[in-house]
Amino acid sequence: MSGKTNTTMGATLLEAGGDLQSLLSATESAIGGLVAAFQGLAEQTGSVSNLSAAIVDRVEDESVRSVLPGAQNMGIAARKFVDERLQATAGILDIVKAEMELLHHLSIVTDGQAKIAFTIKMLNVNTKIEVAHLGSAGVIFEYLANELADFSQSLSGSTEELTSQTDDRRIAIDKTRIMLSVELPHLRKELARVETSLRSDVSVLDSGLTTLSMRPAQFRMSAEDIARQIAGAVVAVQGHDITRQQIEHVQEALILISDNLEVKEDSTASVSSQIARAHAGLEIQVYQLKSIRATIAEWTSQLKTCMDSIFRIGAFDLVEIGPLVLEQARLMSSQMSHIESLQTECQISSKGIRETLGGISQLSQLVTEHLQKSQSTRNRLRYLTFNSIIEASRLGTEADTICVIADGIAEVSAEWTNITEHSESALQEILSLSTRVNGVMATLSQTNSEELQEAQVEAQKGLGNLRSAAEFAVMQGEKIGVVTAAMQTRIGEVAKSSDLLDACFARIDAVLADLEEVKLLMENDHPGIREMYDKAEAESLYSASYTTEAERDVLRAAIYGTAIPLAQQSSTGNDVELF
Amino acid sequence: MATKRILTVDDSSSVRQMVSFTLQKAGYEVTEAVDGQDGLAKVGGGKFDLIITDLNMPNVDGIQLITAVRKLPGYSFVPILMLSTESQAEKKDAGRKAGATGWIVKPFNAEQLIAVVQKLVK
Repeated sequence: MSGKTNTTMGATLLEAGGDLQSLLSATESAIGGLVAAFQGLAEQTGSVSNLSAAIVDRVEDESVRSVLPGAQNMGIAARKFVDERLQATAGILDIVKAEMELLHHLSIVTDGQAKIAFTIKMLNVNTKIEVAHLGSAGVIFEYLANELADFSQSLSGSTEELTSQTDDRRIAIDKTRIMLSVELPHLRKELARVETSLRSDVSVLDSGLTTLSMRPAQFRMSAEDIARQIAGAVVAVQGHDITRQQIEHVQEALILISDNLEVKEDSTASVSSQIARAHAGLEIQVYQLKSIRATIAEWTSQLKTCMDSIFRIGAFDLVEIGPLVLEQARLMSSQMSHIESLQTECQISSKGIRETLGGISQLSQLVTEHLQKSQSTRNRLRYLTFNSIIEASRLGTEADTICVIADGIAEVSAEWTNITEHSESALQEILSLSTRVNGVMATLSQTNSEELQEAQVEAQKGLGNLRSAAEFAVMQGEKIGVVTAAMQTRIGEVAKSSDLLDACFARIDAVLADLEEVKLLMENDHPGIREMYDKAEAESLYSASYTTEAERDVLRAAIYGTAIPLAQQSSTGNDVELF
Repeated sequence: MATKRILTVDDSSSVRQMVSFTLQKAGYEVTEAVDGQDGLAKVGGGKFDLIITDLNMPNVDGIQLITAVRKLPGYSFVPILMLSTESQAEKKDAGRKAGATGWIVKPFNAEQLIAVVQKLVK
């Protein structure tokens, strides 16, 4: 081989070395871009982590977790309220119907009374006529006429009063009956609605809160994952430094080989041994470059994977929590508003019912007074009957008409006794109704509504806390969104640096091609050149500058013709050895 | 408690950045030097609680740096970690004899590094 060929080969090798140098300069700036992007991503991920941790802290707070038991208690109290209300209303309706019958009964009594009053009036008129007819003999019957007149007036008066009061009462009760007949199905519907929708809303809230409770654990796993990815990226970036050194050693070796190829006049070494040494060196450098290429592929791939993962993890879906929970809080709140309206409705109708039912005590008083008068009238009528019969029998046939009147009074007395008994029976019914009314009034009392109100206050407080936590989550979510958008931009920058890095390292292939070409030239000019070089000398010469065990292993593989060892770099980094 | 100061010496900017990033996240104040000579100048200008140095650097290498630092007042017992691509026993022995406290073969494990620094710097 001529010196001119050696010079050409040497020049090629120096040029290859120069390419490697430019490659290193270009990758330095590309790796600088990647490192800056990585540090920015790590910082942004830290921000997202902190923002997310704040959400987790809020939703894990006891005041938020208490919202479900609060809502459940409210549901129970609401169901109880409506159920009791329903039962009370059904009971009241029964009472009202019973009172309607009673009033009808009383109206029969008052009708009877009115007839009797009329009859007594007629008897009074007849008595007066007969008294006038009897003349002085009839004087003793004047008291009868007066009594009858008095009865008639008194009966008419009290009958009118009773009739009027029972009529008024009937109207009031009928109104209540109509109202309750409408309210009862409405309440049944409400109970069913409250049962179904409250159960559903509580279930949705429960499901939402379960999701909420899972998120912290997921978040923590993600935070650990982020830490792992960041650690992986730190290792991958260091890979660049290692391959940089290895490339520099290849550069140095190419210069050495190029020097070896120069024909020196004073050299005692044969051309063949010079070429053999150079060929050995080239073989080693080809091996080294292939190994370096594989190592670069590994750490660049690791770096890209880590940064993609960091970006994906950073966009954590805690952001969804806020709107989800706000919607659930809104549903519950709407439910509570409905229950509140129902309570108000019930309170208004309760007031009316209480007033109406309270009237039964007045009816009771009225009937009691009427009964007392009725009993007194009954006694007086009996007395009057008795006296009339005695006086009439003393007068003999002259007082036949008086006898007829006395008979009439006796009939009236009997009928009155009957009516009095009806009134007594009516009073018993009223007293029984009063007892039932008192029981029902207790159910409609403030206490039952207070239980529900207390439960609502608690549930409202819980919802308030939940809403506040959700609003906080929404706010944090917006901040997270801003950061993740910035991360997305950064990932774009990473892609550019990464592409530049790939392009730079692809130039190693061009250098490899040059070296293979020179090697081929040597092999063509010097067949069997592989057997000509001293392995130990080659090892000593070319490994002097090596700083990694990997380089030494590759050199030995090149010298002894074995396969290139696989890249051994740890993906998690090496431990510290303390002396 | 005052923040602990660490000096990282390496001719590779990416390695210095990774050491700084790792230790700053752990709450340490980190100063960078581009080689042994720069490292010595920085040590002269301030007190450090720990030094992490590369081995193969231009101007003043890691062994020379450690030897010089150990002679400075107040630096006899300051922990010095060697961070190098080298893993040969002879190199480690040379480091230990020069006064290194420990040895890390690149790439370092970030969690491990923080744990050891926390142990060495209290």
